[in-house]
Amino acid sequence: MNTATHTSTHTMIHEKDLHTTTMRSAGELIKRSLINTRRLPSAFFPTLAMPIFNMVSFSGTFFALTKLPNFPTDRSVNWFMPLGLAMGSAFSGVGLGFSLIRDLENGFYDRLRMSPTSRVSLIVGPVLATWIRVTLVSVVVFIAGFLLGARPTAGLLSYVCALAAALGISTIGAGWGLGLAYRFQDMRGAAIMQLSIFLTMFMSTAQVPLNVMTGWLHTVARLNPITNIFRLSRSGWVNQTDPGYMSWSNAYGGLLAIGVLSVLSLIFALQSLKKIDN
Amino acid sequence: MTSTTAVLSQTQVTRSPATAVRQTVALAKRSTLELFRQPATVLPSMIFPLFFAFLGNSSFGGTTSLPGFPKVSSYLQFQLAGTITQGVLFGSVTGAAALATDIENGFFDRLLAAPTSRTSILFGRLAGSVLFGALETAVFIFVLLPFGADVSAGIRGIVAMIVSGALISLAVGALMSSVALKTGSSEAVQGTFPLLFILLFFSSAFFPRETMSGVYKTIAGLNPISHLVEGLRALSLEGFTASATARAILVPLAIAIVALLIANRQLRSRLKSH
Amino acid sequence: MTSSPIIAENLVRHFGDVQAVKGINLEIKAGEIFGFLGPNGAGKSTAVRMLTTLLRPTSGTARVAGYDVVKDADMVRRSIGVALQDAAIDPLMTGAELLALQAVLYGIPQSLMKKRSDELLERVGLTAAASRRVSTYSGGMRRRLDLALSLIHQPTVLFLDEPTTGLDPMSRLTLWEEVRRLNKEGTTVMLTTQYLEEADQLADRIAIIDHGKIVREGRPVDLKAGVGAPTLIIKTHADQEERAKAVLETFGDLRPGAEGALGVGLRGGAAQVTEVVRKLDESGVHVQHLEINEPSLDDVFAEATGYRLEGSDNAPPAGDNGVEEPDKKKKSRRGRK
Repeated sequence: MNTATHTSTHTMIHEKDLHTTTMRSAGELIKRSLINTRRLPSAFFPTLAMPIFNMVSFSGTFFALTKLPNFPTDRSVNWFMPLGLAMGSAFSGVGLGFSLIRDLENGFYDRLRMSPTSRVSLIVGPVLATWIRVTLVSVVVFIAGFLLGARPTAGLLSYVCALAAALGISTIGAGWGLGLAYRFQDMRGAAIMQLSIFLTMFMSTAQVPLNVMTGWLHTVARLNPITNIFRLSRSGWVNQTDPGYMSWSNAYGGLLAIGVLSVLSLIFALQSLKKIDN
Repeated sequence: MTSTTAVLSQTQVTRSPATAVRQTVALAKRSTLELFRQPATVLPSMIFPLFFAFLGNSSFGGTTSLPGFPKVSSYLQFQLAGTITQGVLFGSVTGAAALATDIENGFFDRLLAAPTSRTSILFGRLAGSVLFGALETAVFIFVLLPFGADVSAGIRGIVAMIVSGALISLAVGALMSSVALKTGSSEAVQGTFPLLFILLFFSSAFFPRETMSGVYKTIAGLNPISHLVEGLRALSLEGFTASATARAILVPLAIAIVALLIANRQLRSRLKSH
Repeated sequence: MTSSPIIAENLVRHFGDVQAVKGINLEIKAGEIFGFLGPNGAGKSTAVRMLTTLLRPTSGTARVAGYDVVKDADMVRRSIGVALQDAAIDPLMTGAELLALQAVLYGIPQSLMKKRSDELLERVGLTAAASRRVSTYSGGMRRRLDLALSLIHQPTVLFLDEPTTGLDPMSRLTLWEEVRRLNKEGTTVMLTTQYLEEADQLADRIAIIDHGKIVREGRPVDLKAGVGAPTLIIKTHADQEERAKAVLETFGDLRPGAEGALGVGLRGGAAQVTEVVRKLDESGVHVQHLEINEPSLDDVFAEATGYRLEGSDNAPPAGDNGVEEPDKKKKSRRGRK
């Protein structure tokens, strides 16, 4: 350490000079999150590969679904691309929970908690960084989908709605993932995150439309708000004659579900953060 | 002072086949118990496949009359074979991961230091996998049967399925054990999970190959897992025919023999170099 | 409102059935270096985590920099700097990036950020390494970065939790120098340690903590004196020993010395040495050798707790073995410390 030549240009900082703002802190935390993503690409690759894998394998395996009478679309990829997007976004949120657990386990999160920045900024920053990642992934998925034959039925709006659904799902997943990470602070939280999100995603119209379902799934899926989000996502990808086609009533349910669930899950995350010192 | 205690010679302890069998049984017991006690095994290899079966039934129940779909009494009848394959696949990987963990934490070396027959170490582990696989298969059959997963081949078919499930466990378990023995890392073995997952999806485990099209159909046709599944499925759909039984039992048996040879070679190579 | 920067009243912390801290009372005065001495598991780190707003007390109160740690946690955070055990930093980022992040999180004005970072990097000797990722830093470098991070906002109160555990002797000495310098600049320092020498060297006052309670508190010199009188040992000619003994007896109880040496416990403390030597001289005793053995903090600790702190797993590394503690992952934070 430099004990001999102590620099005389000593900046004076007083307590009253310290001015933390949520957005400034969040911005710096976004920067950190993106730096980490760039420097640990092996953690990001699954986030990119999974949606494409999903899209390919589902549209290939269940190709014949489109032959069902009154199936919403004639193209298998059109139906399953939103599923790929949704899975990718949901697990982006989970990925946030994972990196939080890493920070908690190695003690870096203590540094963040001891700083006077608002607790809200500690959550908003990483969630916004997730939005950036999800947008990037979605663009790649859109391109891959197009190459596989996906064609929008409502022009630009098709992409906008699918992206909105993806961002919404990632927010819900992020809040849930962060909250569980704060509560468990270890890999048990990770396991619960994955399991719960997976189950919730699949007990909806993830795979088939409501009018194809039979039995218990039909009841559960009808009540599951994720179904509304899928409807929003697919509204620009189903045939123009399908009742699920782009319209305010089809979009509205999804947007409402996103709004309500996002708020709830982010509150869950914030409360869990505040309780972490118990 | 002379001692009158009898001293067992090395050869007496290790060489007799009876001892080898006893050791295999003991190690098999340990492997099986281990598998059952870990929720990390039971969950992905038993609960998930059942969940997907029920999910699939409710999702695709209305698709069984699609052109190309084989004649079935219900989607579950079609799905049973896929469920069994899925469960057995993931159960076997977990067993091999446990072998890798043994190597990692030194238990393997302790086994080697004791007068344990070398092959009984491998067979004990695999026997555990096989037992688990057979039990899993039985559970899947008997849980799904009341919901419509009829087995046309009757009781004989069910027995054949259980044997088939056991053989698939053996085949996959042996292959994964080769990975465990070669790398000595449980992380490497668990890294094969996504690979198997992908393989499973590019097969006819969840939907008939006949309804697929283009490149995807070709890939599914080349995928060995498709053939394993279709062998089992034949017992559900066609009845206890020679062709169905042959496909269900001989295919996994052939793969198992090759896999065992590879695993044994890996075991020798590890023993030599460590 | 009192001006003492750290006040704790009956601070208690339970983790389920485990009582990590069983009621601690502290008042650390402005400008002092306060040492918290105790073995692993005594409750030092738990106490520090409560004072630095990381952990909520089960009961009791604490005020740091004049603010309640629970009710005004944010105000506390603005005034304190903390460097915890196991320098906790993000290995994927560079030193400079971490300082920038810290600066923003503390609300340092944009115009001052670079200057402040550069200053601190120079101060801890990491200017050259600043653009490298922290994963390439040695253990000592990580500690220095951690210290820089804790100082970014010029806190008036600094908490150091076991700052030299695992460091080589050279790094330890440098860190001590830095702590003294910070203290001279006006920073109140609370440091926890398991090393007696560290507490003795650095602290104006110490508290000994054992099994969650403070068992001794005070200045090292007073604590040591409280254990017993220092031993004065002299050597003289064999025929002068009787005369020497007579003189020594007037200053305290005679104590056994080594072969050919005489010892006495100086009731009046080491300050009496001059008088002893004068009286011996007046009696015609020629002193060949003289030494004074002070009771050590080790003795203080042993007397307070019933066991010795400087055991084989507590003593600092004997020489420069060049091996520093790796940046290991922490176990569950809920464990007691």
